[in-house]
Amino acid sequence: MAVLAPVSDSTAPAHHKTPRKKRLNRVWSDRRTRFGLFNAAPVVVYLLILFVYPIFSTLMLSIEGEDGGFTLHWYADAFRGANLEILLTTLRISAETSLLALVTGFLLAAAISRLKPLWAGLAMLVVVVPHFISALVRTYGWIILLGDNGVVNNVLTDIHFPGAPFQLLYNEIGVVIGTTAVMLPYTVLLLYAVMKGIDRRLPAAAAGMGAGRLTIFRRVYLPLVAPGLVNAGVLSFILCLGYYLTPALMGGEKQTMVASLIDEQVMKQNQWNGASALGIILLLLTFAGLVLLRLGRSAGEALRKRGAAS
Amino acid sequence: MPEADVMPSLALPETLTGSGKPVSVTRLRKTYGGVTAVDEVSMEIAAGEFVTFLGSSGSGKTTTLMMIAGFCEPDSGSIVVGGHDMTRLAPQKRGLGFVFQQYLLFPHMTVWENVAFPLQLRGVPKAELRRRVGETLEMAGLSAMARRRPRELSGGQQQRVALCRALVYRPPVILMDEPLGALDKKLRDQLQTEIKRIQRELGLTVIYVTHDQEEALVLSDRIAVMRDGRIDQFDTPQELFERPRTPFVADFLGAANFLPGQVAEQTADHILVRLDTGGLLKARPQAVPPAPKVLAAVQPGRLVLCPAGDGFCTGTVETVTYVGTLVRVTVRSDGGADTGCVRLELPAGRAPALGARVGLTADPGNVSVFADPEHGG
Repeated sequence: MAVLAPVSDSTAPAHHKTPRKKRLNRVWSDRRTRFGLFNAAPVVVYLLILFVYPIFSTLMLSIEGEDGGFTLHWYADAFRGANLEILLTTLRISAETSLLALVTGFLLAAAISRLKPLWAGLAMLVVVVPHFISALVRTYGWIILLGDNGVVNNVLTDIHFPGAPFQLLYNEIGVVIGTTAVMLPYTVLLLYAVMKGIDRRLPAAAAGMGAGRLTIFRRVYLPLVAPGLVNAGVLSFILCLGYYLTPALMGGEKQTMVASLIDEQVMKQNQWNGASALGIILLLLTFAGLVLLRLGRSAGEALRKRGAAS
Repeated sequence: MPEADVMPSLALPETLTGSGKPVSVTRLRKTYGGVTAVDEVSMEIAAGEFVTFLGSSGSGKTTTLMMIAGFCEPDSGSIVVGGHDMTRLAPQKRGLGFVFQQYLLFPHMTVWENVAFPLQLRGVPKAELRRRVGETLEMAGLSAMARRRPRELSGGQQQRVALCRALVYRPPVILMDEPLGALDKKLRDQLQTEIKRIQRELGLTVIYVTHDQEEALVLSDRIAVMRDGRIDQFDTPQELFERPRTPFVADFLGAANFLPGQVAEQTADHILVRLDTGGLLKARPQAVPPAPKVLAAVQPGRLVLCPAGDGFCTGTVETVTYVGTLVRVTVRSDGGADTGCVRLELPAGRAPALGARVGLTADPGNVSVFADPEHGG
């Protein structure tokens, strides 16, 4: 302390806030801290310009009235009439999509995790490579496949499948199929990583104790994959919330999602304030999803602790 | 994490006792791509017996255990547990208990849930389940840790949970595959005592696999010494130690000295071996296949010093090493350079001086004679 005393004296003489200043000085005088801050500077500047500033200005736009004063009526508008319906549609389609992506992803990842390394690598490539192709091209691919005279309907009609041809485009089925295909690589990759990490001798140990295949799956395998399922589900749900292209191209009037609404408000109505409010709502929904994820995890933990006590 | 690794000696729960069943293995055989891992292994294990498969890696001990467990299907032979043929049964239908070296506790379950799991599978009513899990955990001194997850426990505690999980459903046989292999020496000694106590008091049939001779000697009622997929000898520790039937057993268990020579005289109550170094060594009576050369085997602890000139061999003390209460002594014997050194273990007070001239004797009861495999025996 004696060494530091002259420093604090010169910066803030006889002031009751001295201790904090002193600590700050000490931190700043650490060479490693200074070096670290220096290194972090580009990232900080980058984030400030490209992340904090846009979000902040969007937030400002969303609470700016026509007269320039403060208002919340853009938010009220977002939760009213057609806009509210679009918001609910977005949530519903996101939920349907992430559920389908989870189930399909689970089956795929489980199958791939059983393959020999070489085949697993190839299968993974098949799952991931479509992701490198432009989303626009992929979506048009789906449109060709699912159209009234597309491959799927032609095959179904040829085998006299009852009810064929089906309306697979410009409705919710089309949107969910298309968006699920976009989300699939994420869920497969996340689940595959978790499944690979499971000690394969654990199910064998359960079998040795007398557990059947279904019980092993339900009591051992599924609980071990569960964290991955939750992560993959929340991730695809969040990604879905703001997804624009596929729902816009493969959906109909009734499948308008928030991203399309924002697009319409900005491009057609030049309504930046309303669009900003919608954007902020999407952002908050995303945060809510992440918070729910955390809460769900700790609640599960607490429940387990209590269950074990009985 | 405080290490609460002393198992209290509580009364053992009656619900667990007397569950051991006999095991009969007949001409078990398993090959992997042309290599024979287990070759015509047969053994009878009594109910409540502790049997160890002892051997180095690749001796077929683990493969034999895995076939009894059902994780690995034999090419031929049969496995009968408690009168039921289990040779082709899936592991979950056999109802046996397992303890593995890697514990294999379920990481997403608490200690309590891990131990309750096999009982839940069997549809045990809730009240009884609670009582049995409680009793088993208490016996292992784990009651205080019932709500912890396996990763919050030390290695020794985890292995005790694994033991509880295997005990709780009273399996007819418990199979243990090097369960103490991952633990340090002190903990291993402690758990050996505990496993042995529980096994004896509950009357469990245990089949145990290890490569550690000392562990096998401490735990087992009988030991099957395995080599190249066969059982060299299946006997009590004492028999194996005092009357090894092959040079391998004598070496593996007793680290015996092998002294080459020829049979000079064979009578009903002794065998006289003329050693290559010149001396005569008297051995217990035993069947020795006719061979031009034999090996007389004596364990280091069974040799006694005597004045030079007496005994079957005379030599010079080459090294003296203190090992706690024992001294390890090597004596370079006279005559013949290839005879090498004889190793002795003596009480610390009886250590000879370096370079002293000494003679060696041994009780004939402690001397085994084998045909020398290097000379067409």
